[in-house]
Amino acid sequence: MSGGIARGRLAEERKSWRKNHPHGFVAKPETLPDGTVNLMVWHCTIPGKTGTDWEGGYFPLTLHFSEDYPSKPPKCKFPANFFHPNVYPSGTVCLSILNEDSGWRPAITVKQILVGIQDLLDQPNPSDPAQTEGYHLFIQDSTEYKRRVRQQAKQYPPLV
Amino acid sequence: MADFTEELEPLFDYSRVQPLNLICLDDDEPSASPPKKRNKASNSAVEKVDDDSANVVVIEEEEDWLRPPPKVSKKLGDDSVLKALRLQKKELASLAESAENVVRAVEESVRKELSSLQSSSDAAAAQPPKPQVERNKVVISIQDKDGVKQFRIYMDDKFERLFKMYADKVKLDLQSLVFSFDGEKIGPAATPEALGMEDNDIIEVRATSNKKGVSSTKGTR
Repeated sequence: MSGGIARGRLAEERKSWRKNHPHGFVAKPETLPDGTVNLMVWHCTIPGKTGTDWEGGYFPLTLHFSEDYPSKPPKCKFPANFFHPNVYPSGTVCLSILNEDSGWRPAITVKQILVGIQDLLDQPNPSDPAQTEGYHLFIQDSTEYKRRVRQQAKQYPPLV
Repeated sequence: MADFTEELEPLFDYSRVQPLNLICLDDDEPSASPPKKRNKASNSAVEKVDDDSANVVVIEEEEDWLRPPPKVSKKLGDDSVLKALRLQKKELASLAESAENVVRAVEESVRKELSSLQSSSDAAAAQPPKPQVERNKVVISIQDKDGVKQFRIYMDDKFERLFKMYADKVKLDLQSLVFSFDGEKIGPAATPEALGMEDNDIIEVRATSNKKGVSSTKGTR
């Protein structure tokens, strides 16, 4: 029952995305091997902001929607061991607007999620760390932190 | 007895009853008003009743010398309606004629084209205006970091034409531009149809410096 609501909303999100989305971003529901589209999992790309250490990187992000979407937020995952203070070792992004008990609202769009995560890349939240390495370097060794960020950006060049 | 008289009363209550009986009834019930009415009715209208029932139409036609004005007005009303109907009919007829003309024109143009096709196949290849009718167009947005530009191209048009148009417009070397749709690179031979594109779909364009692009871009970096 609720799955119909989730899929209907996701179809609308996809339709709206195709007509208008920020430059450099990609967001597309996954296509299964048999050619059918699975609206519940989206493969996205978030570009690093120009003028930051993240520039030049095109970071892959996967959105996992549940049948309870949009009552509940999607789980947003970078690749495992992604270097960022607010990304868990599993790759899951820790962000207030993605927290069901905190900042999530059903009206938040996929576009707002992706832009919000792009903002988070260059503006980590030190009060809510999700991994030790990224967190410690961010507060203790900013030079090394920046080097690691630029190195990671080179690891994710544009796919095209 | 009173009951009887009351019951009897309707039995004698005919409009064509003789005046004698009516008088008798009046004697029995002096206060009754209906008999008087019947009297009036019988006196004045016994014959007329017959006339009304049988000859209503005839009477009206014969007597109504004063009615022609309304009849005229009715005729006028009918005329205006008729005029409107005639006008509509004329319009429809003209429409039908114009439609016929269009059909004839199309037929003639087709014949001409057919004859030209038969006469010279080269000419037919040189002028492909006819297929345009069947080819669907699509509006494609090309988005770079500065904004969106919209282009209207055929669904079965190869993208290389659009890419060249775009490169000319932004004055960049086509070789330095990478076009992608949904994160996947678009080859020059692909078409909007093949990629399942719809109106207002967005193609992302990115300028690269690693390809053998414009020397100026290399110089700046």
